[in-house]
Amino acid sequence: MTRYRSFILIVVCVLAMGGCTTSVTVEGTIPTPLVAKIPVNVGIHYSDDFKQFRHEENIRQEGNWKVDMGAQNLLFFRNLMTAVFVDVTELNEPPLTGESLAGLDGVLVPEIVKYGFLTPNVSGLKFYSASIHYRMSLYNNQNEKLGEWTIVGYGKSERTLFGTTESLGEATVLAIRDGGARIAIEMTSQPVVQSWLEDVNEE
Amino acid sequence: MIKLVAAVSIGLILTGCASTRVEERREASTGMSDQEAIVLLGRASYSDRETETSFTDCVASALAKGERPLRLVTQKEFKDQLYPWFEPRTAPTSSKDLAKLFARPGVQQRIIETEVRYLAWISGDTITTDSGGSFSCTLSSFGGGCFGVSYWEEDASYEASIWDVENMTTSGQISADANGTSYLAGVILPIPIIARPGNAACKALANQLREFLQGSPITENEI
Repeated sequence: MTRYRSFILIVVCVLAMGGCTTSVTVEGTIPTPLVAKIPVNVGIHYSDDFKQFRHEENIRQEGNWKVDMGAQNLLFFRNLMTAVFVDVTELNEPPLTGESLAGLDGVLVPEIVKYGFLTPNVSGLKFYSASIHYRMSLYNNQNEKLGEWTIVGYGKSERTLFGTTESLGEATVLAIRDGGARIAIEMTSQPVVQSWLEDVNEE
Repeated sequence: MIKLVAAVSIGLILTGCASTRVEERREASTGMSDQEAIVLLGRASYSDRETETSFTDCVASALAKGERPLRLVTQKEFKDQLYPWFEPRTAPTSSKDLAKLFARPGVQQRIIETEVRYLAWISGDTITTDSGGSFSCTLSSFGGGCFGVSYWEEDASYEASIWDVENMTTSGQISADANGTSYLAGVILPIPIIARPGNAACKALANQLREFLQGSPITENEI
């Protein structure tokens, strides 16, 4: 049924000769990372931009694209952070005051810096590909920024005849997974995190 | 009945030929109990090629059928269970890497829980090696039709590298190569004669993989 809807969408797009919008809703499984938990109590702040991230782009001869990945990305990160740290507290609103930081060892703020995708028509390849640039900022429990690092997640998915939205959605899910995998695996090898953990253990 | 015979005949006529070659290299003895499972994993790299999901699905489907079906854990389920260790950029590239991965907390226990005995890494793809001819269709107020002939030759080349999870060794490799030429002829109506080398390679690889693991090839009816 979904493929049938996609087919109708493509036919309408061709008939309209442009001016058509392809909406992609990103959905997928939320795996729990199998990693050793870092023994700290960390606060995580997800901004509204992060929670509701949406990418819009106009590609010549392909029309407008809207990729809505905020909900999937947020669910993924909530699960990821819970698996990576022993204690996680979600912080709603900045600025972070002494009261909201009480009992925390530090605060992590993930952001999506950039999202991009390529269609087979643009790349000349057989698949849709997506990339997400995440920036992770780390603060201590005095609200002083200790540093930040960037992770890039990549994903690609085969082109199917009438499954444009599904293919790009799948590529985006794989990019979120790839970014999450690198965050989970490389967290403790980041110099800023190592330094922070040393400070926390000394306190 | 006549319609059925006609449909089968047309199907046979319109199916192009694909020639297949299979090679096997065994490095250790193999065997599977009824409780043990295999997982087929497609090698995905971030170059311009990767193993099509449809190919691994085809091999998995063939292995799960028959008188002695193999117990399969799906690629998706396995990757979710072992996340983040079998993602495209984090997956082990050799059975030696697998031993290192098993040293990480919880990984070996999780694999034991899935009852996976063998990992089969499938790599390769199907590419168009040659194409040519001329084919066109026209439509006007007086009618329409298709004229000409076009062709394209495809080469499907895949390899399965089988790892024994229990012994953390490479059990062997199986490769399957198939190629075939498809035609599209226009005699008013377009007549496609399609060779399916990818499907032929899938059958050949699944057949050999089953024989490799338990010594019973798949019959034609099972695919």
